[in-house]
Amino acid sequence: MTGRTGMLSLAVVIAVLAPVFAHHSFAVYDHTRTLTLSGTVTRFQWTNPHGFIEMDVTQSDGTVKHFSIELTSINMMQRVGWRSNMIKAGDKVQVVMAPLLSGEPVGLGLEVVLADGKTMALPVPNIGSFKRTTQE
Amino acid sequence: MRAHRLLLVAASALLVVASHIIAAQTPSVPDITGSWLRQGFTVGVPASAQASAPKAPPPAAAPAVKEPYRTEWQSRLKAIREADAKGQPLANNAVACLPDGMPGMMTAVFPMEILQSRGQITIIEEAYTQVRRILMDRPQKALDDIEPGFYGHSVGRWEGDTLIVDTIGIKENVRYQNVPHSKEMRIRERMRLVAPDMLWNEITIEDPTVLEKPWTFTFAYQRMKDYTLLEYICEDNREYADDQGFQKIRVDPAQR
Repeated sequence: MTGRTGMLSLAVVIAVLAPVFAHHSFAVYDHTRTLTLSGTVTRFQWTNPHGFIEMDVTQSDGTVKHFSIELTSINMMQRVGWRSNMIKAGDKVQVVMAPLLSGEPVGLGLEVVLADGKTMALPVPNIGSFKRTTQE
Repeated sequence: MRAHRLLLVAASALLVVASHIIAAQTPSVPDITGSWLRQGFTVGVPASAQASAPKAPPPAAAPAVKEPYRTEWQSRLKAIREADAKGQPLANNAVACLPDGMPGMMTAVFPMEILQSRGQITIIEEAYTQVRRILMDRPQKALDDIEPGFYGHSVGRWEGDTLIVDTIGIKENVRYQNVPHSKEMRIRERMRLVAPDMLWNEITIEDPTVLEKPWTFTFAYQRMKDYTLLEYICEDNREYADDQGFQKIRVDPAQR
């Protein structure tokens, strides 16, 4: 029994210490808040090192603001079920993103609600380090 | 007619016996061909593709770096930490779409494929489509006969159940965990199946110019069931290093 508990604790320690490693730093993004954007896709870029969703978002004053949403490697996206045909120009999507600290209209995509209503998460390493807020 | 058939039967029997003799004389080596996932690097990998019963290798010790390299290394790490905390990360090789090289590629951030063929073992890392060739049962070249590169020159041999690999000729700007090294750095690897679906690679870095003593760490890889490596081309990298060496993102209206 003690041995079993020991094994379990070891497994927990391993899980906690599991290396969170990425080639690219996401430190340029705000880890303290997220924005939820609803808009129209102008382009879905399926490339490495990272994919992108380009989208137009209508502001409360009626003007249209363009945002670039950085995604992860398309290899990681494919491994959790993303496909290149899931988003196309003209689609209405909702994106939860961590905004760029510099204030430029760029964010790191954490979650996307596709035009058909399906929610797809992005396999961002250490995604729990991004605090979710509900700012529109 | 009958004699002809008898002769054929006798000849086939001889062939069967001969092939058994040849098989007995060829030492069998462990089968490590296939796709491997670094243990713990499970973000974006479905549970169905992961082997069960993970077993952890011994924890890595920090390298004993000599002065003045130690001060250089420590101040670089400090600069990286401070820059990250300010949301202004320092640009690394990846920002320029450069691969990890050795031994960094063996961290297998993405899945890794091993192929065993006659006289050569080939290792492919999915990220950046990195490829290294381990030439089997050949003497290592003299350092002067190797042009420095990202993967160096690797020779290997099986010693019982362990694949022993020797690598030299790594460019000095190809660094693992930002640890400096000299031209004379030597990477020794010992790869062994600790379970049918678990491969350990004990890596020892030798570099008497930079290190007080050899630096050893072990990576564990889980065999992936039915996984074929995907292509990876660093096709459109919007990251760039500004003139201060910070990582920036190109915000390009042409991308819209």
